[in-house]
Amino acid sequence: MSSIEPDINHNIEIGGEFKGGLIGATIRHLLILLVILFVWEMANRTGMGDPLLLPRPTDIVLSIWKIYVTQGNVWYHLWVTFKEAMVGCFIGCVIGIGLAVAAVLSDTFRQFLKPYIIIVEATPRIAIGPILVTWFGFGMSSKVALAALVCFFAPFVNTITGLLGVEEESYELFRSLGATRKQVFWRLMIPTALPTMNAGLKLAVGSAFGGALVAEFISAQSGMGILMARYTMSLNMPSAFAGLLSITLYGFILFRIMEIIDHRVLYWRNDELMEKKSLQRSLAWNKEMKS
Amino acid sequence: MSDVSSDGVLKGVKELSLATRLGMHLGTFIVIIGGWELGSRLGYVNELIMPPPSSIAARLYEMFFITGSIYYHYFVTMFEAVCGFIIGVSIGLSLAIASAISPVFRRYWAPYAVVFNVTPGIAVTPFIIAWFGFGWSSKIALAALVCFFPPFINTLTGLLFIDKDATELFRSLGANKKQYFWKLQIPSALPIIMAGLKLAMTGALIGAIVAEFFSASEGVGILMQRFAFRLNMDGSFAALIVMSLMGLSLFTLMEYLDVKILFWRRHSRMEEVSKKRKAKWSIN
Amino acid sequence: MADEVVIEAKGLSKAFTETVIAVEDAIFQIPKGSSLVGPSGCGKSTLLRLIAGLIDKTDGNISVRNAEVTGPRKDIGLMFQKAVLLEWRTAIENVLLPNEIRGDVGPEAKQKAWDGLQLVGLKDFEFAFPRQLSGGMQQRVALARLLQTGADIMLLDEPFGALDEFTRERLNVELLRIVDDPEITTIFVTHNITEAIFLADKVFVMTPRPGRIAAMIDINLPKPRTIEMETTPEFNALIKEVRDVLSGHLDGAPL
Repeated sequence: MSSIEPDINHNIEIGGEFKGGLIGATIRHLLILLVILFVWEMANRTGMGDPLLLPRPTDIVLSIWKIYVTQGNVWYHLWVTFKEAMVGCFIGCVIGIGLAVAAVLSDTFRQFLKPYIIIVEATPRIAIGPILVTWFGFGMSSKVALAALVCFFAPFVNTITGLLGVEEESYELFRSLGATRKQVFWRLMIPTALPTMNAGLKLAVGSAFGGALVAEFISAQSGMGILMARYTMSLNMPSAFAGLLSITLYGFILFRIMEIIDHRVLYWRNDELMEKKSLQRSLAWNKEMKS
Repeated sequence: MSDVSSDGVLKGVKELSLATRLGMHLGTFIVIIGGWELGSRLGYVNELIMPPPSSIAARLYEMFFITGSIYYHYFVTMFEAVCGFIIGVSIGLSLAIASAISPVFRRYWAPYAVVFNVTPGIAVTPFIIAWFGFGWSSKIALAALVCFFPPFINTLTGLLFIDKDATELFRSLGANKKQYFWKLQIPSALPIIMAGLKLAMTGALIGAIVAEFFSASEGVGILMQRFAFRLNMDGSFAALIVMSLMGLSLFTLMEYLDVKILFWRRHSRMEEVSKKRKAKWSIN
Repeated sequence: MADEVVIEAKGLSKAFTETVIAVEDAIFQIPKGSSLVGPSGCGKSTLLRLIAGLIDKTDGNISVRNAEVTGPRKDIGLMFQKAVLLEWRTAIENVLLPNEIRGDVGPEAKQKAWDGLQLVGLKDFEFAFPRQLSGGMQQRVALARLLQTGADIMLLDEPFGALDEFTRERLNVELLRIVDDPEITTIFVTHNITEAIFLADKVFVMTPRPGRIAAMIDINLPKPRTIEMETTPEFNALIKEVRDVLSGHLDGAPL
């Protein structure tokens, strides 16, 4: 079973040290971006670039304005895809975590599941899309179903790994204190597993979106996937690009939100936050003692 | 008194014997497949929604042995996935190595890679099809795109985060950058690189299939979609099983590579290699 | 016979930040066969790394054999608390690492590596992988690797600290046997006073925050040293001497 745990801190550090501070780096990248956009624009205008392949930046900007403001149709589609992905993600996570907990609490169940886990892991789960669409119809439910199916695996595997990662000595400690199974579960196993579980949830969100989009490609009436598909098929590249940029942007925002949640929840992995919490708790303690 | 048994919640995994496990699986198999089949025949389960196992099996038999139509499609999708894998992984590895070696390169490239890693590569499918057309190249392209990220991120992480003490050791021995790279960075990063490659393999297959869903004329993905749309459910389930087989064979291949390459992680392999090296040893 | 001064420091300092001053104003001259002892966190490891050329000083100077230390040198070999063996290489391949890096893996090097492993007591384990070896055995491989470098100045940073007492004792005895060579200068850093006295001809006592060399004590116990010596009155007197320096470091005058 492969456990997928991208370390949050690694992601930030990979970006490399920000020479000249964050401002310096942003300015540098913006400059580069402007240069690229300029060259791109010029290439198109002089007929060098193929507008079908890579539309002009100015056209893209115009399309962005169009879909967001004048026509405003993108809002609806964004909302649809967002709904599909989020609901699917929720269901997938619940199932994934639920099964994982069951697998952890029962040895027999876990060993029973092993071969099936391997099969499910190896199968491209997204492949079941057409069947789901046939079953659930062209509406939202097929998208939700595919999203759920696709994204349940990461939380499932990660939760199992996380819960199994509790050290023997910790169990012994709790046993020596006379803890009940419930206490062991909630006060020891879950907090220990949280970092890994969180990593799984982050992956789930990404997969859920992918799943929703794929279901839309297969067949849908609304949603970002089908919107972009329609635009590209009708060769309206600027609008299609506008759509893609939107998705990228929101994906990034969502990712950052999850990272922030991650940071706040797992305060004991971050020194600064730990100190703050430490202070908070000592203040609360003093207050309680005084009263 | 503690509720937790002396075995703890998890410890001392009672390894079920092979016989017990086989028995369990056989039993489950019989119950589920049998129940499914029975339910179908008795009319409880709608044949259109969940075709009975027997007709799926019949379909598979037909596809493999009678018409033999499946082989070509199997080949097409495998080819698309493997090509995409090779391309995506080559680019991912090279960029990662370049980023690891040159901090300047890394500063400009890596942030974007991290950002784009978040966006499902799937979203670009319409564009890929528009750019590359309906043929095989669009499938290969999407597969390559989807499977570029895991190897890139993993390789970069693996090469950058080397054990500090080992680095100090190499410094104290006066190693140069090349030696550091080949003798420490690469071997040290291999486990995480392999993990990335495994993810890439899965991703490549998914990329190829999704591209086929979008538009294709050949391949197991589009085959399955066609079956489903024509309400030929046993066909589409059969195709699904075929795709599962594909995934499993690729997975087994990757596992085999993992065992072979990362010999120092398994005792049995360590002993094997130990013996080999002993035999190869000579003072001259 | 005057002891040859091998390592010399004058006003050596290393400040990591404004408040974290690891070593300050160290002045010492180290002849062959010394030990450096002090409690955890007093800057011993930093000092060792300064001598080895792995980190840069912030003030003063440090010279080895009258040449200022600017970076890692061939005549200085190190051993750390962790064996730091490469998991994917067999024991003997790990021992040959220095030769590989220096580019001279010939028959002599290979023979020397083989003999080295015999010397540290790892006969029949030449082709074992680190994961197949115990902690003590891994450190022996690390020791063999150190010997392989042919360095005559050996810096050991609590190499046996992670091992159990019995293994540690045994390895200390073997270490003495191996480095019992007038040409070799060994600096052994430890927080274990008994170990420091057992191994050394001279013990440098280091006190913490900021790290300073507080005293140098001559150890005139006979050689070869045995474990039994550790219970003799002379030995215990030395232990007391070191302890006094450490506990009274506020009063003790720097060397």
